[in-house]
Amino acid sequence: MLLGIDVGGTFTDAVVVDGGRVISHAKIPTTHGRLLECIAQAIDRSLSELDVKDITRVALSTTIVTNAIVEKKIAKVGLVVIPGPGVEIENLVPLPPVVVSGYTDHRGREVAEILEREILAAGKQLRDCETFAISGKFANRNPQQELQAAAWLKRETGSQHITVGSQLTGALNFWRRTNSAYYNAAVWPCFRDFSQAVEAALKQRNIHAPVYILKADGGTMPLAAAQNLPVEAIFTGPAASVFGVMTMACPKIPAVSLDIGGTTTDIALWQNGLPLFAKQGIAIDGYPTSIRALRLRSVGIGGDSHVRLVNGELKIGPEREGPAMALGGKVPTVSDAFIVAGLVDFGERRLAEQGMASLGSSKVEETAAWIIDQAAQQIVQAIEGIIAEWSAEPVYRVEDIVHHAPFTPQLLVGVGGAASGLVPAVAKRMGVAYELPVGGAVVNAVGAAVARPTLEVSLRADTAAGDYTVAECGVKAALSKSRFTMSDAQELSRHYLLGRAEQAGIAADDMEVVQQEEFNVVRGFSTVGKIMSCQLQIKPGVLTTIAGFSKEEWQ
Amino acid sequence: MKKQLGLVFFPAFDWAISSTHPERQERLLYTRDQIVEEGLLDLPAIKEYKPRLAEYADVNRVHIGIPDIAALITDAHLVSAGGAITAAQAVMNKEVERAFALVRPPGHHAMRMVHGTRGFCTINIEAIMVEHLRQHYGINKVAIVDTDVHHGDGTQDIFYHDPNTLFISFHQDGRTLYPGTGFIEEMGSPNALGTTMNIPLPPGTGDQGLHTVLDELILPVLNDFKPDIIINSAGQDNHYSDPLANMAITAQGYARMADKLKADIAVLEGGYSIEDALPYVNVGIILAMAGISYKKVVEPDIHKCPSQSKATTEYIQTMVTKWQDIWRRRDVLAKQAKLDAGDFWHRKRSIYYDDSGISEYQKESIRLCSHCSGYYTVETEADRPGAGLQTAFAAVIPRAACPSCKAAGKDAVAAAKRQGHHKYYFLQDKQQDYLEKL
Repeated sequence: MLLGIDVGGTFTDAVVVDGGRVISHAKIPTTHGRLLECIAQAIDRSLSELDVKDITRVALSTTIVTNAIVEKKIAKVGLVVIPGPGVEIENLVPLPPVVVSGYTDHRGREVAEILEREILAAGKQLRDCETFAISGKFANRNPQQELQAAAWLKRETGSQHITVGSQLTGALNFWRRTNSAYYNAAVWPCFRDFSQAVEAALKQRNIHAPVYILKADGGTMPLAAAQNLPVEAIFTGPAASVFGVMTMACPKIPAVSLDIGGTTTDIALWQNGLPLFAKQGIAIDGYPTSIRALRLRSVGIGGDSHVRLVNGELKIGPEREGPAMALGGKVPTVSDAFIVAGLVDFGERRLAEQGMASLGSSKVEETAAWIIDQAAQQIVQAIEGIIAEWSAEPVYRVEDIVHHAPFTPQLLVGVGGAASGLVPAVAKRMGVAYELPVGGAVVNAVGAAVARPTLEVSLRADTAAGDYTVAECGVKAALSKSRFTMSDAQELSRHYLLGRAEQAGIAADDMEVVQQEEFNVVRGFSTVGKIMSCQLQIKPGVLTTIAGFSKEEWQ
Repeated sequence: MKKQLGLVFFPAFDWAISSTHPERQERLLYTRDQIVEEGLLDLPAIKEYKPRLAEYADVNRVHIGIPDIAALITDAHLVSAGGAITAAQAVMNKEVERAFALVRPPGHHAMRMVHGTRGFCTINIEAIMVEHLRQHYGINKVAIVDTDVHHGDGTQDIFYHDPNTLFISFHQDGRTLYPGTGFIEEMGSPNALGTTMNIPLPPGTGDQGLHTVLDELILPVLNDFKPDIIINSAGQDNHYSDPLANMAITAQGYARMADKLKADIAVLEGGYSIEDALPYVNVGIILAMAGISYKKVVEPDIHKCPSQSKATTEYIQTMVTKWQDIWRRRDVLAKQAKLDAGDFWHRKRSIYYDDSGISEYQKESIRLCSHCSGYYTVETEADRPGAGLQTAFAAVIPRAACPSCKAAGKDAVAAAKRQGHHKYYFLQDKQQDYLEKL
């Protein structure tokens, strides 16, 4: 049995998945500021008729990291950077960093040394900081300076945590790695407290199954691993929803999925049975990071969106002014239109009709149809927007410009409270088929329950220099053979990914190459070597597909 | 809010002239690494654009390919030219303040007539961009400042008879470097005299010499000419580490130049010190164009940069003074050149295509019309390996041609065809915007 928990802004859901069905679920109001309370309640409620010994895995999608940043319940971080020459990074990061000497160039060669006395002085200067983050330019090509600086800093400050930028990602982008490292160190104490409380609460309930935390890219990581990388657990709600769609109605053809809630609609694109990932990491508080996420767009339309006329023109959302009039609200909403149009049935139809009539026409069905059509149109525009954005993304090969295939969705999948009212209208406008999987109301918890662990490594080999780097593992070593090929690079990546997976305690049965590049190094008209890079990951996906729910009331 | 800089970055990672040629897949690899690692593409002042493919009509507005341009180029050339156009459009549509097309393959050695590839260039991406702007955005006066170490002979050729295009090229002296042209005396044909400005610099010129030329000559001349738009052919091979040239410019020298020049659009040309120069020079130019501090962009091996000799400093000062004098007297000189030439001005040249191994022989005649810049004709012959002798006659009608020149140009090509001495006949009518093969 898989236990999945999603802490959302309004509700906390828990589901138990077994044998390809959701056999139990619970919905509890989220207790802000005391998240453990609603998590414990949701667990207890969902397991009330089950034997906890049968739980084989617990997975949690939580707002703890997001909230810590929004509410500024973060640690005082000492940020140390090794930028070398280039852009002046001092004013681009969330707080003034201490800049130290040292430089590693684009091929991972040390050009200028780091100085122990400078690092120790930085430690003294930052002695009132709780945690530290250290980040160096091109440290992903050679992590030695970062690791050495971290060791000196640890000795000087005795800090319980130092985030090292290159261990968060092997990808280029010093600015993003620095911001990621800062936020990781900032949320570290808060996440440690939270994860200890979760462990205690589970232990108290005799649940000894391994615990996983959802990441922004929809993969999961073991709780122990998450303690070093807590920032990865940011913005997981939309990812949980997308992975819920994957397990309940995975589209195999080019598709768009919509999670239509109370105030927003989240849009994701699908190709080859997988959601598309964002090319760049997410931004936190306006600072770009290297944290990988799904390609999503949010539009301010949902069931509770306020509907009004402005100079004779219909305006929908993005504000919410309370519940639907059918439920006693004061202003008409999109949900009132659904009720009048006969698409859903809740609350008092009479009040919903009054809401429609308040928009100026006695023909309430026509008004409802008008609202639904307008709302659908706004969603279609947002879908076109995210597709256009995908299509306009720069590529660096002639082949990719000349043979660029457009993304043409053929299916719409809708989940979330307001999906049944809007998805048919959106599908009609787009001229595609649609699906509304059963159980869309707890889709996030389902997604968390089944999302598989993911992990990656980035290997870069430079046969001209005779060495290779695996940033996430803090490795820079000599190549053992003189004729090193791309398939050797893949094999070596596999070796490191397996090692990393074993250390984290996760299965590495389904690996895939995310990206690879190979260039000849030519000096003076002769080829002196090759530069190869290979990014390998444990493929994101779901542990099981879900055929249905054992309780009929979930529609 | 309008962004400061639009950046079209297209390293063409799957295209090379040949596997060990300087124009190969690896050329912008380290530049890509540096740009991405510095986070430049994420800066709020910078917007990255995906290049479009240029259309053949864009290319045929500038070039006359023998037997046709499609037979001579690859898709990479269309992306590169398209990237320059994308950059220009972002500026013209006021999405960005200025733009930089960091693209390859380069183009400034490609002339109007094209038989093959010379100086790594097949089609002239700046010229294609400029003529696209004139056709679609009503731009008239254009200044092109070519800061590549090699003379921009292709761009010079294309605009040699056009008084509305000021072409300024500084470069390592042609007596010491490919393509061997670009001397002060090449100043444009009589109707456009003074709108071609060549500034040959001695080997070993450093930041100091470059900025003397910029401050005392190029910037004042631009100020006098008052162009609608300034283009920078931003070659980076004046760098002290470039393997194909002998100059001593640094990343700081280039960045400060970009800062002063304030080009509306910059387009990458050459630059083959792919590891030691390009990553730093490009970061410097991008930051300068985006209005961000570039003070800390310094090459790790800056101690290897030689200093400029006293003799070089003096030589440059003398040449600047000489050009200042020519520029002041340009109208008088143009009048005299017209008087000397009569109704038509002629020139005969041989042109070598080093990458294709082709020698071309060319005859040009331009009518020195008093109503317009005059139509001109070009006769070309070239022995192309595998294709035999290629001969062609073309007439070019400029955008602002008077009715008489327009008719005369058409008659000239029709008469040539009747005589039948050539294999191909072309009419490039820039007024009606078409290239016709007769």
